[in-house]
Amino acid sequence: MQRILIIDDEDDIREVASLSLEATAGWKVLTANSGAQGIELAILHQPDAILMDVMMPGMDGPTTFRKMQQISSIAHIPVLLLTAKVQGIDKRRFADLGVAAILFKPFDPLTLAEQIAEALGWNAAPPSSHRTAPSTSAPK
Amino acid sequence: MVPLAPRNDEVMNPSSHPDPELFALLQDLWKKHLPSTHERLDLLDHAVQMASDGHLDETVRAEAQSVAHKLSGNLGMFGYKEAGEVASDLEHTFKAPTPQDASVLREHLRRLRELLAAYL
Repeated sequence: MQRILIIDDEDDIREVASLSLEATAGWKVLTANSGAQGIELAILHQPDAILMDVMMPGMDGPTTFRKMQQISSIAHIPVLLLTAKVQGIDKRRFADLGVAAILFKPFDPLTLAEQIAEALGWNAAPPSSHRTAPSTSAPK
Repeated sequence: MVPLAPRNDEVMNPSSHPDPELFALLQDLWKKHLPSTHERLDLLDHAVQMASDGHLDETVRAEAQSVAHKLSGNLGMFGYKEAGEVASDLEHTFKAPTPQDASVLREHLRRLRELLAAYL
């Protein structure tokens, strides 16, 4: 089972993404509501991948990613940035950071796991019959 | 089941949704977050009113741009694609509104509320 860390300051985005990945792919999801908290959870739990918003108050996604790259225990974890649709120049700027992929909001909850799996070269996630309530476990 | 999204939107139409269980869970989340959606729309109302009155201050403008940005990302995720696009138009207009943009802002907000009226 894949374990994904979602970092986003917006509660509804975190909850919909969690629900999507848990319900459609059966993945284990951790959530954080800030870059700083995300780094802590990444160090503690060593997720298989990190899905992170670009625009967050305080430490934004690119800054958080650069800090992660300086921490040897988590620098290897692939990071996917989640952002509103951007122009080509912004897309290149994000890609130049070295992230694994850039995904766009609004995402389709039906296909988010497929998008992540495809971007990371994982085998397609099998549909799961396991249904869970929305994850609300983000530490405040 | 009450439709969550505009009827012309196949993604979240319950009669055609390919995953009814996921749809139902998303519907629960939409309802859970309705209070924050109302707050965001109220803030946009306030900002558009200030723009119409000719005294939109920088703090409110920036807040309105940020709120419109959040709505543009969130509404489409719940299946309200057209509403999300209108929110994106609002975000763009709030970046550097001129006095002449007040009517544009009013029209965008009117359209946004119209698209969401049945689901708030």
